[in-house]
Amino acid sequence: MLPLAVAAPLTALLCLPLARTRWARPVSIAGSAAVLALALALAWRVTAGGPLVAARGWLQADALSALLACIIGAVGLASAWYAHFYMARQEEGHDAASWTGGRYDALFHGLVGSLIVAALANNLGLLWVAIEGSTLTSALLVGYYRRPGAVEAAWKYLMLCSVGIALGLLATVLIYYSAVPLVGEGSVGLQWTVLAAAAPALQPHFVKLAFVLALVGYGTKAGLAPMHTWLPDAHSQAPTPVSALLSAALLATALTAVLRFHAIAARCLGPDFSGGLLVFFGLLSMAVAAPFMLIQGDYKRLLAYSSVEHTGLVALAVGLGHPLAILGGLFHLVSHALAKTLAFLVGGSLASATGARRLDHWSGVVQAAPALGALFVIAGVGLAGLPPGALFLSEWLTLAGGLAAGRPGVVAAAIALLAIVFAGLAFHWTRVALGHPSKHFHDSLPAASRRPLWLLAAALLLLGVYLPPPLRHLLEQAARVIRP
Amino acid sequence: MTGAPLIDWLPRSNAINLLAGVFLLSALYAVTQRRTAACITAYTWNSLSLAAIAMLVALLTGARHIGVAAALVLVSKGFLIPRLLRRALARSRSRAEAEPYVSIQLSALLCGALVVIAFSQTRVLFGEGVSILASCLPVSIATTLVGLFLMVSRKQALAMVVGLVILENAIFLAAVSLTYGMPLVVEMGVLLDLLVGTALLGMMVGRIEESFATDDATRLTSLRG
Repeated sequence: MLPLAVAAPLTALLCLPLARTRWARPVSIAGSAAVLALALALAWRVTAGGPLVAARGWLQADALSALLACIIGAVGLASAWYAHFYMARQEEGHDAASWTGGRYDALFHGLVGSLIVAALANNLGLLWVAIEGSTLTSALLVGYYRRPGAVEAAWKYLMLCSVGIALGLLATVLIYYSAVPLVGEGSVGLQWTVLAAAAPALQPHFVKLAFVLALVGYGTKAGLAPMHTWLPDAHSQAPTPVSALLSAALLATALTAVLRFHAIAARCLGPDFSGGLLVFFGLLSMAVAAPFMLIQGDYKRLLAYSSVEHTGLVALAVGLGHPLAILGGLFHLVSHALAKTLAFLVGGSLASATGARRLDHWSGVVQAAPALGALFVIAGVGLAGLPPGALFLSEWLTLAGGLAAGRPGVVAAAIALLAIVFAGLAFHWTRVALGHPSKHFHDSLPAASRRPLWLLAAALLLLGVYLPPPLRHLLEQAARVIRP
Repeated sequence: MTGAPLIDWLPRSNAINLLAGVFLLSALYAVTQRRTAACITAYTWNSLSLAAIAMLVALLTGARHIGVAAALVLVSKGFLIPRLLRRALARSRSRAEAEPYVSIQLSALLCGALVVIAFSQTRVLFGEGVSILASCLPVSIATTLVGLFLMVSRKQALAMVVGLVILENAIFLAAVSLTYGMPLVVEMGVLLDLLVGTALLGMMVGRIEESFATDDATRLTSLRG
């Protein structure tokens, strides 16, 4: 577990002196591969041997943290691999002007490292420090390019998430306050494993207050409506590989922090209070995102609103509280990560091929560039929740779990919102895929840049028809972490 | 609680009450000041009173980790962050102060109402405290609200940052008054993050001026929809 926690920060340190040399990108890819390999090994150990605690209780790995670490590792590797081609192309163009020139790889791995530490943190104080650390590194990446839009997005992102995270700190203080009479002062009172075990004896009204503050605080970072306003700006202004990491891995990490508080609150107060709030904010996020997705012409903003929608769906799934729904929600984290990373990266290729970020400039892509067109269609199938994409399976599990939990009203509302989103995506995607190609369509990235995309697409389609047993065990155990 | 004989002559709860008063009043002073420089001065006083409260608690309880945390607060919040903010202000070229959304008089009135609400609601939530820090909790909740108000009522980017750092101070005071602070390692991590965060925000203010030729953050409206 310790090697996993230090692998990405170490890569970041290595990348700093190598900036602007030809070694930076290979080191970056190797580091990402190491993170993914260590995360998979950890998942293997956890599913076989149960939860681990390390570093004197500061770090722990249960199935939920192992699952999250695997998501971060996979998205990180795909993004770093793609960045090898994409960022090289960006740095040639005049778009290149950046504030922190050449520090891209170091910042990227700083972000991955803080996400991994947040995934493995057992101490809620360390969790806070790691999540705030991810805000700081990602704010620099959001504002990477020297253009007004990026400055504005980074400013809003840093301000709003700083306020959110300050409320998250208050939540941490309150949980600690309610635990001190039971377990005494010192870092033991902040350990999630200790708190989860002692939860039934914690003082209910402080736990209630702490959960609400954590939901608002970490929920801001997770992009739950109505605290999502910074998200479309930040995710659309960041360099494309970073957008993928933000949407697929950072949102999942912040949401998992909320779920850690939910697990404590559910053990203390029963599942209704915190679960009800998760269902409410989940539905609200889907409802807020859906209309924007119908009219959005900017591809990356469309994907950002889609992230708000999918985060809402996961919150809804866990809030429903039925084991099947929780399983579906956690699987949705995985499938959404694959589809969204693919969608962002293919968008990066299309944007550099056409020189435009808007969907109406991309029409006819299937005819003009069949390979990119196929990847674009697969990403759309995934995001819309069509079979055989993995999101079909995870959404289906979630909704079935909702019915099993006896919440047909919530399920009906979710289906209606998913249908609106589907209509929006179908409209945009058919227009782009079937339209007439524009004259100047030239894929400027080498064919090798599409390799990580094909891998993502294959995984997305495979998981839609076949859930490998190790992944299923991991998901089942992770669902039991949230609700035993 | 075993009081240290060292300052037994001091009516201790009075001393802490006094400092809590300085803490709240400095935040309110920031709200009534139009100039960003005055807001930064108010923040400095806010941080110094926070450090003094923590130091007093350390002396009274004899807990060394609180003393170390107090020293770190003094260095980071009392010295380094104000310096970063002043430097960002000095670099700023725009001298015209944008009108706040709410007039100064009305701001003072609204913040007074926020303080009353915070004091009454804290008592409902936490009951009458018995510790020496009973007065600090409502003060911290009130200051949280005042800091938030400062953030949303100003237009200058830097004044918003001052609102944010006052809010963070208030949450620190809540931690001190509820649990005598958090474990030292956690506090060190938190302080480091806050310090770096403020440095980044100060840097962003500079970039905003360079890109938009104004420090009025409400004019950042190129991204919509």
